[in-house]
Amino acid sequence: MTVQAVAFFLFAGILTLSALMVITARNPVHSVLFLILAFFNAAGLFVLLGAEFIAMILVIVYVGAVAVLFLFVVMMLDISFSDLRKGAMQYVPVGFLIGLVLLSELALLYGAWVSVPEISNNLAAPVSAFAGKTNTESLGLLIYTHYLLAFQCAGLILFVAMVGAIVLTHRVRPGVRKQSVAEQQRRRPEDVLEIKKMTPGAGL
Amino acid sequence: MTDIYTVITDFNLVPLIPEIFMALFAMGLLIVGVSQGNRSTSVICWASVAGLAITALLIMGLDWQHKIILNGMFVFDEFAGFMKLLVLLGLMASLALSVRYLAQEGIERFEYPVLVVMSGVGMMMMLSANNMLTLYVGLELQSLALYVLAAFHRNAVRSAEAGLKYFVLGALSSGMLLFGISLLYGFTGSIDFGAIGASLLAADSISFGPIFALVFIVAGLAFKISAVPFHMWTPDVYQGAPESVTALFAIVPKVAAMGLLMRLLFEPFAAMADQWGQIIYFLSLASMLVGAFGGIAQLSIKRLIAYSSIGNMGYALIGIVAGTPQGAGAVIVYLLIYMIMTAGVFAVILSMRRNGAAVEWIGDLAGLSKSNPVMAYAMAILLFSMAGIPPMAGFFGKILVFQAAVAEGYYVLSVLGVVSSVVAAYYYLRVIKVMFFDEAADPFDGRTPFARRAVLLISTAFVLAFILKPSLIVESAQSAALSLFFG
Amino acid sequence: MELVAVFTPFIAFLVVGLFGRSIGDRGAQFITCAGVILAALASVVLFDEVILKHQAYTTLLAPWVVAGNFSVNWALRIDQLSVVMMCVINIVSACVHVYSIGYMSHDPAKRRFMAYLSLFTFAMLMLVSADNLLQLFFGWEGVGLASYLLIGFWNHKPSANAAAIKAFVVNRVGDFGLALGTMGVFLLFGTIGFDAIFEQAPTYKDAYFTILGHDFHALTVICLLLFMGAVGKSAQLGLHTWLPDAMEGPTPVSALIHAATMVTAGVFLVARFSPVFEYAPTALMVVTVFGGLTAFVAATIGMTQFDIKRVIAYSTMSQLGYMFFALGVSAYGAAMFHLVTHAFFKALLFLGAGSVIHAMSDEQDMRNMGGIFKKIPTTYALMWIGSLALAGIPPFAGYFSKDIVLEAAWADHSWFGNMAFWLGIAAAFMTAFYTWRMLLMTFHGTPRASKKVMDHVHESPPVMLVPLAVLALGAVFAGWGLHSGFVGSAHHGGVEEHGVEAVHHEMSEDHASGERGVGGHDTGDQSVTKQIAQNIEVIEHGIKAAENQIIVEAEEASYEVEAWAKENFWQKALYVLPENDTVEQAHSAPFWVKKLPLLMGVLGIALAYIAYMLLPALPGAVTRVFRPIHTLLFNKWFFDELYDALFVKPLLDMGTIFAEKGDRGTVDRFGPDGGAALSQKIARGLSRFQSGYVYQYAFTMMIALIGIVSWFVFRNGQGF
Repeated sequence: MTVQAVAFFLFAGILTLSALMVITARNPVHSVLFLILAFFNAAGLFVLLGAEFIAMILVIVYVGAVAVLFLFVVMMLDISFSDLRKGAMQYVPVGFLIGLVLLSELALLYGAWVSVPEISNNLAAPVSAFAGKTNTESLGLLIYTHYLLAFQCAGLILFVAMVGAIVLTHRVRPGVRKQSVAEQQRRRPEDVLEIKKMTPGAGL
Repeated sequence: MTDIYTVITDFNLVPLIPEIFMALFAMGLLIVGVSQGNRSTSVICWASVAGLAITALLIMGLDWQHKIILNGMFVFDEFAGFMKLLVLLGLMASLALSVRYLAQEGIERFEYPVLVVMSGVGMMMMLSANNMLTLYVGLELQSLALYVLAAFHRNAVRSAEAGLKYFVLGALSSGMLLFGISLLYGFTGSIDFGAIGASLLAADSISFGPIFALVFIVAGLAFKISAVPFHMWTPDVYQGAPESVTALFAIVPKVAAMGLLMRLLFEPFAAMADQWGQIIYFLSLASMLVGAFGGIAQLSIKRLIAYSSIGNMGYALIGIVAGTPQGAGAVIVYLLIYMIMTAGVFAVILSMRRNGAAVEWIGDLAGLSKSNPVMAYAMAILLFSMAGIPPMAGFFGKILVFQAAVAEGYYVLSVLGVVSSVVAAYYYLRVIKVMFFDEAADPFDGRTPFARRAVLLISTAFVLAFILKPSLIVESAQSAALSLFFG
Repeated sequence: MELVAVFTPFIAFLVVGLFGRSIGDRGAQFITCAGVILAALASVVLFDEVILKHQAYTTLLAPWVVAGNFSVNWALRIDQLSVVMMCVINIVSACVHVYSIGYMSHDPAKRRFMAYLSLFTFAMLMLVSADNLLQLFFGWEGVGLASYLLIGFWNHKPSANAAAIKAFVVNRVGDFGLALGTMGVFLLFGTIGFDAIFEQAPTYKDAYFTILGHDFHALTVICLLLFMGAVGKSAQLGLHTWLPDAMEGPTPVSALIHAATMVTAGVFLVARFSPVFEYAPTALMVVTVFGGLTAFVAATIGMTQFDIKRVIAYSTMSQLGYMFFALGVSAYGAAMFHLVTHAFFKALLFLGAGSVIHAMSDEQDMRNMGGIFKKIPTTYALMWIGSLALAGIPPFAGYFSKDIVLEAAWADHSWFGNMAFWLGIAAAFMTAFYTWRMLLMTFHGTPRASKKVMDHVHESPPVMLVPLAVLALGAVFAGWGLHSGFVGSAHHGGVEEHGVEAVHHEMSEDHASGERGVGGHDTGDQSVTKQIAQNIEVIEHGIKAAENQIIVEAEEASYEVEAWAKENFWQKALYVLPENDTVEQAHSAPFWVKKLPLLMGVLGIALAYIAYMLLPALPGAVTRVFRPIHTLLFNKWFFDELYDALFVKPLLDMGTIFAEKGDRGTVDRFGPDGGAALSQKIARGLSRFQSGYVYQYAFTMMIALIGIVSWFVFRNGQGF
């Protein structure tokens, strides 16, 4: 209990702080690094919850792919974030106030939280069949059966995302030289050669 | 391994056939497109129209009895069927309108129809969602395709900006939606519509938890139907996106999102009618007023249409506020009429090209009555209908929702609705005035393609002929709406 | 046939009105004239069918308004009254149409004029053939519209426009009464169809309306309201001011609308409603008083005017007064009789005056005329005929009708009947005076026009003179031709009784000679005597048989003659209570009553001759001596000034105040203008809000979200 509590507060505290640093750091590279830190801590929290699969996914996908991609982008694009931030800064006081209101309301919500009586039934419904199975195993069983539709649909989303990315970024550049074997094979002398009779001394 | 089969009890894919067909069809088209290149775009467009028509036939061939399959993930009932047909109709119209436009604008790429069809798959999923997860993936599938379409004219700064804006704000709205779903899950322990509805009904009193959840979920969906105050993206995106995409935006996704909203409010949140009634009341009122007043100052045709669509969503929401089967039926009829009118208007706008470029400003329509009287009169009829002037169809759409609201005692809302429709009439009539009474500038380009003429003819004929037998549509819409309540 | 009579002018109007541009002036004139002449022939056929063959009927055209228990049809009621009116309207209208071809020959807008004339004719026909009050109202407003259009026909003249508006507005007052009367009828009878009303009228003779706590005799109220409409349309005293001004219209218009037809619509209305008026004696009294006063006042004004058309206009008003007091004393037939004869001779006078004006290069002031009778002899002669008819000199039409009107008034033996009689006698004198004053000033004496005008004086073309001649025929023969039919009595005096008496007389003479023949053989042989006696028996038998035969024939004959008497002529179209039948009693009026109008006419003519031919200084002297009276008369009893001060100016002032302060200052400022300005402001505000920055949009969404959440928190906060 105590170890878990200590670990929770450690992860949660660092997570919150690094999230704060993500949006306040002046250097965008620092921001991304703090983001990676936040992801790691979030993964730690998932481990604490016993959701080791999601923790690993978080590390692999978000840290390994997304955050690194961010880092590349930030480093490659020389964008002055401080300039961009200028316009938004004037809203900080109001934004702060709004955030405060939302926070207090959420606190109120938390304080007055009452779940419906059926919650235990509802919660138990999908998982009852997987008692004693590992996280990964039950997730796999559930995704490919119960949530088959959603899973397939997610696949479609990725498909659309791929098509979209290609549509928006793929260009055919006119100046690029490419080898076309078929074209080379099709070449005939008649197409490219012209035989001219030359009278001596007359020039071309 | 037996437990796997106990987990999935009703593996009946028949109601899913249209969606499956559509997705496969889109992929097939993509393959054709990749092998044939962009030259084949118009062929693929027409093929998609055909595919959508086949899908519509498939839907009509289904059994329209209320049916929940795949462990409650997917529902098919009369409402879903009717709304899906509307969506398919809208998609076909907007695709038909796009064909020539893409070539004219130099953005003739075969992915366009594929993306449109894929967004259609998303919309169909939304309309059949019976689970928050299905809802979300359907919504994202639709949205993602639309984000890409908004930025389709990638060489135009405006278009890219529109896509980006739509994407960023859409992501925000998705976040709200997900936050709401999480809260609801925390409260009820379920993401299944049936279980949520039962849990809420069983609760003694509605606490803050589900109210917060409701607010966040409705806000997320309100963004999709561009209800005020979640409408801010609409004018910018409508203006920035290629016109054919604007037509698509104006015609179709709202129908799907509105259908989704209706199912959500009338089924799982039925127990919270009192609460969501207040939210929708506010959204409806704000949308009508902003739609009416915001449009007055607009000079761009597409921004005008954007405000018009905002206002029209406000009127449609009135029917939801009423909260009765009558109101729901009125919403469906309203959406149908709105969709057809908008398609007709875009058929005209897309045809208005001058010196090789699409016209952008209202003032550019001057003299249309001289250069192309048929089109000008058709446009005038459509705009009169949009302004809600009898005997056009638009009048009946409005009167039905107002009737539904008045029947439930929402007098203030109805009166303000009428007032805002009077204000909105100003900008519709101004377009007519420009077309008929202003001095013409340069002539417009060439002939109108067949597809646009067909769309214009059909929508004008519908708008005029609706009065002859309104019951034809109203009754089937009412019966579709009833399936939401007593499915 | 009735369809032809009523709708051909309408078709002509539509054709000329819509396609006038393509058929041209000639075509327009031809079509409208042909249409009206056709209608006139049809109405003559109807006259034969309906009046001579006693076949009144109603043709149902189409349902019009059906709402609850209120249902109205388009229908043509073809009975004696409407047929008489249709004949008058169509014949006069045909004359005017043809005449207009000549009169308007210099006008650029001939097609429009002809179309309006035909429209008017149609509206008037609808009015008289109406089967219910609503259709009558339709025709009533239709003629009002046509009248407005035609008075203001020369719309480049401000005075014409003003006159048109005046006519329209003044008529509105009367129309308001007619509309109220219609509503009253519906309230009382539950229907506005004529048949139903007339059938039920006796049953409601003791009904009362309770208005503001007072009981009013229902039929009287209704009749007075209807009469109010009649007062407006027929320019009776009080609402007459528009008629003289209406002379701004072209002269054919004055002849058709403001003399012969439209202004008699009021007379027609009251005659049509005779079955109701008969049960409202108070209303009849009011009608009589109005009629008598109008006849008198208009005649006094007529004596002092100088505009030739205005003189005739006031004369028209005066004659309408005659008709009304005839109605008032229940002498409906007499009123209709005067209506018909008046239509002919007044249209004749107007068209003649038009011919004079035409000849004098559009001069209307009689002070600038004179001495032209030799240059336009035909017009002169025709004007004479018209004037003689108007003054009531036998055998011209006016003599018969005016006499019977005055006799009927005398025969009423009531105070108002007597008053009307004496006012009428006075008016008859003045009528003759001003008519001859007009004739003499126009045609005789020394020419007072400029030489240029005098050189230009010319006789009108035949196209104008032929219609005049047709009307003159009417002015000469309509009187004695129609006398027995309209007002003649089968039981009392008159031609028909003479006929029967003659037969009887002849018969008895035959009998006597037979007796005498038989008596001659008295002294002869017995047997011979016996045989003769037998013969006598046989002869007597034969004589008896012959006598019977003759009696039967005589009865048949008398029946045929009676067909031409008022009871058979009008049948049920006019209804008079037996005790009110003044026309019947008029036939037995004393000799002096019968001859007084004629005497007055002759005296009037004589006085005019003296004043304007023999002693030209006399009028001036009289004017000076009776200056106050002359001023009063010359200024038309100051009606216009009175109305201006009483109604027009205060209302205009009030209107200005409302327009400036109320409408523009309040309604517009806070209503449309203010609303529009506010909308623009809101719209601009909204556009400014739409900045284009994503973070602002996102921010808006968040604020909205939190706003909605807060709404629920604060609203339901008490629960926690």
